[in-house]
Amino acid sequence: MRTKQEYLIRYKDGNLYCELADIWIDPSKPVKKAIITHAHFDHFTFGCGEYISTKETAILLKERVGENIKIKTFEYGEEFKINGINISFHPSGHILGSSQIRFIFAEEKWLISGDFKLQKDETCKQYEIVKTDYLISECTFGLPIFKWDESKKITNDISKWINNAPEKTSLLFCYSLGKAQRLLNEISQTNFKGNIYSHSSIHKMNNNYKKLGIDITDTIKIENKKNIDKLKGSLILLPPSLSKGSYLKSFKNIQTAFASGWMSIRALRKRSGYDKGFPISDHADWDGILEVVKKSEAKNVFFHHGDSEALTKFLVEKESINVLFFGK
Amino acid sequence: MSLKNFSELFVDLDSSNSTNNKIEVLKNYFLSNDPIDNSWAIYLLTGKSNRRFISGRYLKNLFSQIYEYPEWLIDTCYLKVGDSAEVITLLLKNKSTTREKKLSNISLNELLSKTIPDLSKLNDEEKNLQIKNIWERLPEDNHLIFNKILTGTFRVGVSIGLITKSISKLINIDEEIISHRLMGNFEPSIESYKLLVNKNINLQELNSKPFPFLLANTIEDKIFKDSINDFQFEWKYDGIRMQLIKRLGNVSLWTRGQELVNESFPELVEKMSHVKDDFVLDGELLVWNFKEQIAYDFSLLQKRINRKSPTRSIQIKYPIIFIAYDLLEINGRDIREIKLEDRRIELEKYFSKWQNKTENNISDIFKICDLIFPKDWPDALTYKEKSRENNTEGLIIKKKTSIYSSGRKKGIWWKYKVDPMQLDAVLIYAKGGSGRRAGLYTDYSFALWKDQELIKFASAYSGLTNIEIKELDKWIRKNTIEKFGPVRSLKPEMVFEISFEKIQISKRHKSGIAVRFPRITKWRKDKKINDADSLENAYELMKKIS
Repeated sequence: MRTKQEYLIRYKDGNLYCELADIWIDPSKPVKKAIITHAHFDHFTFGCGEYISTKETAILLKERVGENIKIKTFEYGEEFKINGINISFHPSGHILGSSQIRFIFAEEKWLISGDFKLQKDETCKQYEIVKTDYLISECTFGLPIFKWDESKKITNDISKWINNAPEKTSLLFCYSLGKAQRLLNEISQTNFKGNIYSHSSIHKMNNNYKKLGIDITDTIKIENKKNIDKLKGSLILLPPSLSKGSYLKSFKNIQTAFASGWMSIRALRKRSGYDKGFPISDHADWDGILEVVKKSEAKNVFFHHGDSEALTKFLVEKESINVLFFGK
Repeated sequence: MSLKNFSELFVDLDSSNSTNNKIEVLKNYFLSNDPIDNSWAIYLLTGKSNRRFISGRYLKNLFSQIYEYPEWLIDTCYLKVGDSAEVITLLLKNKSTTREKKLSNISLNELLSKTIPDLSKLNDEEKNLQIKNIWERLPEDNHLIFNKILTGTFRVGVSIGLITKSISKLINIDEEIISHRLMGNFEPSIESYKLLVNKNINLQELNSKPFPFLLANTIEDKIFKDSINDFQFEWKYDGIRMQLIKRLGNVSLWTRGQELVNESFPELVEKMSHVKDDFVLDGELLVWNFKEQIAYDFSLLQKRINRKSPTRSIQIKYPIIFIAYDLLEINGRDIREIKLEDRRIELEKYFSKWQNKTENNISDIFKICDLIFPKDWPDALTYKEKSRENNTEGLIIKKKTSIYSSGRKKGIWWKYKVDPMQLDAVLIYAKGGSGRRAGLYTDYSFALWKDQELIKFASAYSGLTNIEIKELDKWIRKNTIEKFGPVRSLKPEMVFEISFEKIQISKRHKSGIAVRFPRITKWRKDKKINDADSLENAYELMKKIS
């Protein structure tokens, strides 16, 4: 067995790092060269010398970091070389532009899953099975209590929730990039036909998605909360950061909900303070993680981004898969 | 008319934070379901169904056995979810493969009066098969309710007051009447529901039922501006609040939790049945030290509460007394609307009449509460401080002009509790919480110094704000020394002020002491562990009190 230092990819200062290519994966602090799986805030940082990503992620990154960043882009599946290492992006099904990243060196394959889901989502490319020797996987929902319903069922529930309260304004909280667009895309296929408003942070991302050819329903941008009296019976999408504090005070007669995988647990739902929780996630559930581990044919697996204890023990005991620890 | 409807009701109630909304939802439910299921719904929602048919542990083992699932994995899930019934519900998802007919329309009545109680008639093997069969045939949306009823853990954020309001709205009858109708034993049946929603008020119907209790509020400073003469002062006993009722010759004893407890205290029932008058008395049941005329500790009362038909020797070993505070009804006349001071006169009058009957001496089991007469408010404070000496918790202060309304009515009855005892202790263990606190470390154990060693002396889980809980949870995860299942031993570093009501010798605890109602009152970030109290300090505290 090799020491940690001899792995092609390892943890350094709490981030994934490939020393041979001198490249950091989704670093949390500024570095010379960063390769980015997707444009969520916990997967990139400002001030890196150079970014590498898919074309779609690049556009979203520029929206968030600024137009002037130095960024190199590649198509899904397109191989490129850094210091003799073959690198390629593959769809991870998480949000628009999101990817798994594969590294091949001396015939040894490494795959970083990025954030991923297997469920169908019309706003991004479907997860692609990629074979590998080493798999570094996220495990945000790494317990068997997490089993997602088809998103169609959840969005129908959302539509019912709004339609059943015609006197109220329905505030649905969700992440502004990815989740919001997926919800918009799917809610437009339900029975809810009222007006949809979105917060500027969401509206901005909707436009980016549209520019990239994704089918997103038109929404009305809420500006200075004008026309607030006319919101009865309509749906407003807001980022979770606005759920606490004074922002909500100007709305009258509201019901609130949060769309997130965590909402499948009653205690978390109650603690969150929202009226209702809709369990819909852009991460894989337990079965999804197991499926990816199996189909990737990886002989060695590392987990990060989540509590991996149970998953590790399960894979080792039940599936005889070698699960390794990076240490931090 | 089915478990399905009730499951939907549960989801609706569970996903609303608005009282009006919940009332509306309940009203609509009662309107669209039949009386028998409605009566069961009320039974469940008011928490009267806490019977545990099988334990959470049994449920987990059964699931593990049927689906060949590792038990440790279920336990790990439990830490996140905090409720066995819910864990199993979540794990059961997509498990059903049966082609048998689905139980999609089973009525609440059939499930609760037959299917579930019948499980107790089966041996373990048959029982397991039957539960598996129900799991596979019930629609997934109904699993949670089924599992919760099975494990006796059905709870939802609906108070009895909310049920009262929705029924009152449904039939347009005063809440007080509905509240009275809901008191006591509510047995699910068509008749009990029909009685509840009967638009004609018949006074006879409420004969066997206690009145809704009037409760005291925690004292507020504004009261000290009022004249001391406006109030009646009583000791606040630490027993069980009850109504002692004799109507048409029958005695019944009801707790505030609306349980009929005649069987636990037969000597009281027997004695009072010889009293010539009918009455409804509000008072407290205690285990009483007749020699010193003070209450024994609550722990002795606990030895009587859950014991039905106690033997003669138990009755002698733990002698009880009913201390009456108030007279609410006398010989069929409801006197709740007259002033407290006048009710007191009646109470004293009848008590002396009953006492003077030599053939039935009730004084060895019944008395009326003594009143206290402080000269002024500082004097009241002195009484309060002395309350530990006679094993009471402080004072109850009642407005002399108050009528006996129901609930925690503002501004007429006050409780003035003695200040708690306090010690500064070191956090040494933490355990995952359950229910709403699942996934967070919220059950804490605290230690005091003994020489160079920290000895555990109390566990507490209340008193921190949600923000503090989150902060401490983070700290706990970073400062764990060892994990034993759900428990973590921690680096001794954090000091907390722990308050409690009572302290006494205990052979069961390593520390040698036991405290009552321990809770966290302050996170002493200003203190280092060496500033924490020692066991010796605790012993001194104990000496000072006794």
